[in-house]
Amino acid sequence: MQANVGAVASTLAQEARAHRDARHDRLFSWVLKGCALLVLACLLGAAGATLWGGRHAFGTFGWHFLVSDTWDPSSDTYGALVPVYGTIATSLIALLIAVPVSFGIALYLSEVAPPWLRTPVASAIELLAGIPSIIYGMWGLFIFAPFFADHIKPWLTNYLGNKPDDGKLSWVAQHVPFVGKLFGSDYPFGASVLTAGMVLAVMIIPFISSVMREVFQTVPSRLKESAYALGSSTWEVVWDIVLPYTRSAVIGGIFLGLGRALGETMAVTFVLGNAMTLSASILDPGASIASTIANQFSEAAGLQKSTLMALAFLLFVVTFIVLLIARWMLRQLAHKEGR
Amino acid sequence: MTESAAAGIHPQSAATSAPIAPTKLKVRDLHFYYDGFHALKGINMDIPEKKVTAIIGPSGCGKSTLLRIFNRIYAIYPKLEAKGEIVLDDENILDASYSMNRLRSKVGMVFQKPVPFPMTIFENVAYGIRHHEKLSRADMDIRVEQALRSAALWDEVKDKLKQSALGLSGGQQQRLCIARGIALKPEVLLLDEPTSALDPIATGRIEQLVEELKSQYTIVIVTHNMQQAARCSDLTAFMYLGELIEFDRTEQIFTKPSKKQTEDYITGRFG
Repeated sequence: MQANVGAVASTLAQEARAHRDARHDRLFSWVLKGCALLVLACLLGAAGATLWGGRHAFGTFGWHFLVSDTWDPSSDTYGALVPVYGTIATSLIALLIAVPVSFGIALYLSEVAPPWLRTPVASAIELLAGIPSIIYGMWGLFIFAPFFADHIKPWLTNYLGNKPDDGKLSWVAQHVPFVGKLFGSDYPFGASVLTAGMVLAVMIIPFISSVMREVFQTVPSRLKESAYALGSSTWEVVWDIVLPYTRSAVIGGIFLGLGRALGETMAVTFVLGNAMTLSASILDPGASIASTIANQFSEAAGLQKSTLMALAFLLFVVTFIVLLIARWMLRQLAHKEGR
Repeated sequence: MTESAAAGIHPQSAATSAPIAPTKLKVRDLHFYYDGFHALKGINMDIPEKKVTAIIGPSGCGKSTLLRIFNRIYAIYPKLEAKGEIVLDDENILDASYSMNRLRSKVGMVFQKPVPFPMTIFENVAYGIRHHEKLSRADMDIRVEQALRSAALWDEVKDKLKQSALGLSGGQQQRLCIARGIALKPEVLLLDEPTSALDPIATGRIEQLVEELKSQYTIVIVTHNMQQAARCSDLTAFMYLGELIEFDRTEQIFTKPSKKQTEDYITGRFG
């Protein structure tokens, strides 16, 4: 009898415990779901707010807003083409420079460098990532842009551009299409699309290279050993084994850097020149979405303010499209590999 | 490193018989250091051609270390050093002037866990060949098929050569690794505990494969499993604490070992 009561009591206790556990688990899953939904809410809120703020501009200019390069506050006519082009051009130039350099840094640190050198250099790169962008902007404006104007730009305009100082076109400018236009410029200062791209490259190299380095280290050593055992050289092991193994993470790292480059404001505002005119030359000044907003927000009112909001919405769209392209690329690659 | 060295260990010197086969790998006074730690202490052995030589011994005895010197795979890591001689076809492979690429086309290796590359099944086999030979598409197809047939894998994968190798079972992956190794037509095949990650049926297939392959290749297999050594090897080497204790015909080692330590290990008294 006594034993029976004890058994019943312990069963009841177990049931109560199971009940409590289920309740806690439910609560816990609600809290987690809330955290995740908060992110979604922020995203939708920000996109919605900019779209709402920009409704006036979208309503006034319609689709023409996207393809027009006019930017005339006196007649209140605006087009988004110059800043959108500037954003994409500076970011692409930054990627073209940053990806190979980051790749080299990451490979050196994970495969080639002697062990005692790896940790200090890796920490130094992470420190670089932490430098505030205003410092890059000042460095770009006061040190890099003048150096660029004195030493790099003259060489580019004279040997590649269609507007050389001495008027004599180089062979490249005459025979390779687009190159002459790309490097032709009579703007005398250092601020330009290319300068901004180069400063952005310096800014995103730490991001891309530290992601790459971390993922390269996740490649199992037995996989690399197997490739070495077949007679591969270090380069072949990296290219054929390490890169395919880490590909999606590497692409992720690159797009992380691209995302940063697209939205970067201060550094770009300092070195881009802030000219609202469209030029084919990457040595001419330009404007990006972020730099246009930063430069004009304080004085803008009415339609101009709405236009800036619309630009902010376009930045969302550009970033979103970039992410979509990344996803699509990964899917294509996986498909090609037979998985 | 006392009596064993004095005996000059190679199977021919055993009282039982004349040489089994011509020597393929001649190891002379081989020492190995891990960042200063003396891991192999003066190994001497003659590994005969087209036979299966098993290396057994307790964990940490240096058997895998020894195997990893035969193709100098240890050299990809810093602070590892081998001293002594390993002669393959009259040349010392430890000589710095011996080309790594050439060594690895002559000495293939299969590792403990199956490690297919993240590529298709076909590419896994073709990958190594491309490092050493330029073949036309048709020749490459033939070579890959040959290798997969020799590794007893062809019938299972012939319809999915373009699929990722990562979708194969563990045993199939390991046979793919063997195919990848023999696709280079090596002379020596090193197997480092090739079945330790496999189930008994897959293990049986690999052992059967080893039996078939020995007519063409000199095989050195490191194993933890004494029954495996007894089943599929012609010669067995017993190592202990970085020294080669005894090296003889397999039946000799397992029935009448001449050293007390070998007998203790084989009868399960330690290890």
